[in-house]
Amino acid sequence: MSIPDYMQCAEDHQTVLVVVQPVGIVPEDEFFRIYKRITSVAQVSIRDSQRNLYIRYRHHYLPENNEWGDFQTHRKVVGLISVTTCGSAKEWPQTSDRFHCQKDVFGATLYDSRLLVFGLQGEIAEQQRTDVAFYPSYDDCPDVEKRVEDFVESIFIVLESKRLDRATDKSGDKIPLLCVPFEKKDFVGLDTDSRHYKKRCQGRMRKHVGDLCLQAGMLQDALVHYHMAVELLRSVNDFLWLGAALEGLCSASVIFHYPGGTAGKASGREPSLAHGQGQAADAGKRHRPGALTANGISADTSSEIGRAKNCLGPEDIIEKYKEAISYYGKYKNAGVIELEACVKAVRVLAIQKRAMEASEFLQNAVYINLGQLSEEEKIQRYSILSELYHLIGFHRKSAFFKRVAAMQCVAPTIPEPGWRACYKLLLETLSGYSLCLDPKDFSKGSHRGWAAVQVRLLHELVYASRRMGNPGLSVRHLSFLLQTMLDLLSDQEKKEVTQSLENYTSKCPGGMEVLTLPDGLKLPPVPLSKLPIVRSVKLLDLPVSLRPHKQKGLLENNMSSKSPFIYSPIIMHTRGEERTKKIEFRWVQGDVCEVQLMVYNPMPFELRVEHMGLLTSGVEFEALPAALSLPAESGLYPVTLVGVPRTAGNINISGYHTSVFGVTSDCLLDGLPSVRTSGCVVEVIPSLPRLQLSTSLPRPFSSRLSSSVSVQLFNGETQQLTITLENIGSEDLETLEVTSKTCNTKEKLFGEFLSWDLEEAVSQLPLKPGQSVTLTVNVKVRLDFSGGENLLQDLNDDGISVTGLPISSPLRQVLKPRAETKPLGSESSKTDYNHVKTLEAVMTFKYSGGAGKMEGYYRDLSLGVHVDVEPSVFFTRVSTLPATRTRQCHLLLDVFNSTEHELMVSANNNQDLVLHPSECQRMAIQVAKFDFHTLPQPDQEAVRYTNPKLLEEERLHAQASMISSTLGSLSVSLSLSLSLCSSSLDVVVNGKPCDCDIIADCKVGDAVPLEVKLTNRSKNAVGPFALTVVPFQDYQNGVQNYDLQDAVTFIGSNTFYIDMVKPTENSACMGALLFLYTGDFYLNIKFQDDSAGQGKELPPSWFGLPSVHIKALEAPIEAGA
Amino acid sequence: MLTRLKTQVPLFSMNSYTKLREKLKLSGLSLASTHSHVIRLGRHSRHNSKMAVCIAVIAKENYPLFIRSVPVQNELKFHYTVHTSLDVVEEKISAVGKAMADQRELYLGLLYPTEDYKVYGYVTNSKVKFVIVVDSSNTSLRDNEIRSMFRKLHNSFTDVMCNPFYNPGDTIQSKAFDSIVSAMMVQAS
Repeated sequence: MSIPDYMQCAEDHQTVLVVVQPVGIVPEDEFFRIYKRITSVAQVSIRDSQRNLYIRYRHHYLPENNEWGDFQTHRKVVGLISVTTCGSAKEWPQTSDRFHCQKDVFGATLYDSRLLVFGLQGEIAEQQRTDVAFYPSYDDCPDVEKRVEDFVESIFIVLESKRLDRATDKSGDKIPLLCVPFEKKDFVGLDTDSRHYKKRCQGRMRKHVGDLCLQAGMLQDALVHYHMAVELLRSVNDFLWLGAALEGLCSASVIFHYPGGTAGKASGREPSLAHGQGQAADAGKRHRPGALTANGISADTSSEIGRAKNCLGPEDIIEKYKEAISYYGKYKNAGVIELEACVKAVRVLAIQKRAMEASEFLQNAVYINLGQLSEEEKIQRYSILSELYHLIGFHRKSAFFKRVAAMQCVAPTIPEPGWRACYKLLLETLSGYSLCLDPKDFSKGSHRGWAAVQVRLLHELVYASRRMGNPGLSVRHLSFLLQTMLDLLSDQEKKEVTQSLENYTSKCPGGMEVLTLPDGLKLPPVPLSKLPIVRSVKLLDLPVSLRPHKQKGLLENNMSSKSPFIYSPIIMHTRGEERTKKIEFRWVQGDVCEVQLMVYNPMPFELRVEHMGLLTSGVEFEALPAALSLPAESGLYPVTLVGVPRTAGNINISGYHTSVFGVTSDCLLDGLPSVRTSGCVVEVIPSLPRLQLSTSLPRPFSSRLSSSVSVQLFNGETQQLTITLENIGSEDLETLEVTSKTCNTKEKLFGEFLSWDLEEAVSQLPLKPGQSVTLTVNVKVRLDFSGGENLLQDLNDDGISVTGLPISSPLRQVLKPRAETKPLGSESSKTDYNHVKTLEAVMTFKYSGGAGKMEGYYRDLSLGVHVDVEPSVFFTRVSTLPATRTRQCHLLLDVFNSTEHELMVSANNNQDLVLHPSECQRMAIQVAKFDFHTLPQPDQEAVRYTNPKLLEEERLHAQASMISSTLGSLSVSLSLSLSLCSSSLDVVVNGKPCDCDIIADCKVGDAVPLEVKLTNRSKNAVGPFALTVVPFQDYQNGVQNYDLQDAVTFIGSNTFYIDMVKPTENSACMGALLFLYTGDFYLNIKFQDDSAGQGKELPPSWFGLPSVHIKALEAPIEAGA
Repeated sequence: MLTRLKTQVPLFSMNSYTKLREKLKLSGLSLASTHSHVIRLGRHSRHNSKMAVCIAVIAKENYPLFIRSVPVQNELKFHYTVHTSLDVVEEKISAVGKAMADQRELYLGLLYPTEDYKVYGYVTNSKVKFVIVVDSSNTSLRDNEIRSMFRKLHNSFTDVMCNPFYNPGDTIQSKAFDSIVSAMMVQAS
């Protein structure tokens, strides 16, 4: 007996063994169908006796084991049912012979046998045999069960007779010595008459009767017999049989205590031998009859008697099992018995929930040597050990043995390794190593477990699945290994794993589908979210120029629709994390949108990630995958993933897609708690047109504005800037607005900096995609550079004395103090005036169109205009010289060329003035005086300086042209003050108005009427004044003769009083002169401010007094007559 | 990978244990007491190694906080040994826990003997487990010595836990603990 039946349990001791076998050619499936029906008759209650008979069916039984039948009667084959097919009557004799042959195999022990013949129908009428039943076909055999029951009953009759025969056999007949096969030779030549021998025979027979009683359903009798046997055998030190008797005692007690059976659920009986053989065969082999039912025992009246005395308690059962096993252990040849006893004891202990003791039994079972085991037997043994450990709750141990069994399946000594079985067994070990193949379980925090062991197991799974010919599984397991155990792998291992992963994926690319194994186990997909590791996900706004803006009015409408309250103090705390938070900005349908991921590569080598794209929901989204290559152990590395939303709505960035080492994975952000994100939902608005801006000027740099141009101009220069707007989007451009804003407000800017005409551009709208429109912008710079104080000083000492003032402008007060404290005339101050001023402006193009316009969105495009203004010419000093006519004057300009070029200045119709670099020259321009009221009021600063003599601005255009430069013509604007009297005096002599150039003629002796008219042009009232007219003669040699009392006589007073003159009014004084001699006379008119009464003389220049020149002529002769 | 896979599968060599069993049979010991007597049987074969070959600290949730073994080349074997010993530890804890939860003994005694090693266990009140694996041939080691090893280990572990920079549940990387463990380990001779 060499092959243990690991499925045995204690209650098997009460069963009778029936072998069911096919004879001749019987289709396997048909046989097992019949076999199943036969085995359904596992328990038969015998009429009249209220006892039950339990049957254990086997379709395969070693005759060798049968030889141990005397030792334990449940090992004895007592019944044989043969199943055969017989096509015709002719074949019958042959079939019958075969049946008899088979009967002979177990002949010695058989109580009865049956033959079930299929295919024949009553043709064999030779004799009605009770042991043969004929059925027309496998499908048409309704009374098989009935026949089996009859058969069992007949077995029972034999069994009962044998029991009675042995039990009552107390005569002086010699009791035969029962022995096990290996003992037979030991007893040769033994003294059969010795007392010792007799006792031994008695003891063994008692034990045998006990077995029979147990089988026949007489539990109490069996217990009594076993007890007696134990006593007898103990006294003769017959250890093997003592062990058997003890075990019988245990079995009977177990049957009594645990009527439900010790085998556990049917699952425990499932084929553990998974060696790729026919599953049906296994199912049949392992089938065993159902366990004892409660009423089976209680029906026996004898059970009540002596229960306490004979039956072992639960503790005792284990003790006795231990004892029995230790006795078995003394015999090398009883290894199988010992092993089976261990297994039975473990099952009992499992029910008693005494795991520790059970583990000791198992530990012992592990070391029982059964001689040379075949590989298959080894696998079976490890499997059953694993199962038993599982039964007692030692899952780790169970997993360990299962793994050993798995390895045994593919041991190198096996010619055809069962990789499939190995893989299956390995999968079963996963739970023991607390490993679940769902990567989601690992996403919570760091890995905690038996990493080394788990890594090994995964490696084995990978290898087994590969050898199984299923690279898909290998890829899945390897991905799992990489994903979950990455932190625990060494650099070398990482390299190896990824290399083999790449090898496998070359055959079978890994994907995201769930793999289902044949036995129904599902392998969830493993997204490689750690290759690379993503730290944060940030949705990026569109570039400034493409950002959509909402029209104000429409925005409010939206707001009000959301909530009936304008303001609520209750903040809606959304339970959902920040991921669901909506982002402020918007994306536009049809525009490329960006999401920035911060990733890093944890691998010690370069990581190539391909097809990295975004996973989205809510909106149709076209992801544009990117490929990236991350250096080994890289730090955080920004990666921008792009895509184009194709419809409008709310888009949710739910994750990203990668392809690493040939494994494609969809990593959902929900499953990655370590990823920081500021929200993943963003609104996509309908599409808007897109404009591209190009200019005629170069773009030197890109600032925060989408684009800008930079140009360098001399002060006063004008340049044209052509802006081309091209519609590069897919929508029509429907509206376009242009505005500009000057950024730098420090400088005083004269005139309009940027000017354009939009009419022409607007007339071309709507602009189809691909079309463009141009806009011309004039850039004009006019800045005040008159800040160079020391420059003015330098120029002041040229000795030219003019009645004028240095240019006074507000800028002089805001000059840097440093410049003022500098020593005059120093060399460094020379450079001060040469500074460049900067002007910046932003032109904003507001445009919209398409579906986005309907929703009230528009876009802004801005263009920065940056102008560096260089000074061109300075008017360092301005003064006026009265011209020969009082209504005109000469404007004297000291023009300084601050450029490095030679230039030409031309003013009005004057001739050109050539100026060399850094040269200063004075030029005079004759200009007409003008009435300041017609001009805008100068600022208050000027008023303080020159009270009535207000200086007024006049614009003077001077044309200057560069000679040595090719820059072309530039227009210089000058702000300049010209003086005009606030009050003017008009002198009328002889009815003719008098001015500097005009000589009034009069005759000697005639009274010349003189009218002096004061016109107040200022805003204030002037006066009162005292006006004195003094005649004098100019000898043109510097001598003026005021002593003219004898030559000129005033008719009336030569002093007039002018009362207060209100603004714009005038006052006139009338007088007369009488010239007594001929000659050239001049009139000097002096004003005295009479208001305070002190008679202060006022300078004549205040009034722009004309000098009156009167020529007195000889009176006609006739007058003298 | 295959070669490693095959060589490291721990299979039982049936023969060595059978020899041991033969001895047992001669001495007439019952199976139940087999394990505790193994120690005395092999007294004649004294190794020059004197102490543990593997020491492990296992967290309450049954994952290793620390595991170190002396023959480094076969570390995985010890991982398996310690891992499977947890079954016994759990069983023992649950068995004792029923009886008297508060005043139970921390020392669990011999968990199970394998072919070459004996595995001892110890459980702190916070359910942190210590496992010491000793060479079976090392018979000089008494139960008391094992106990004192565990006590030392426990003291050192307490020190580790007192470290404010140690997060309970992380693997132990303390040098002090390391040196204590090293002192207990067999010096490779």
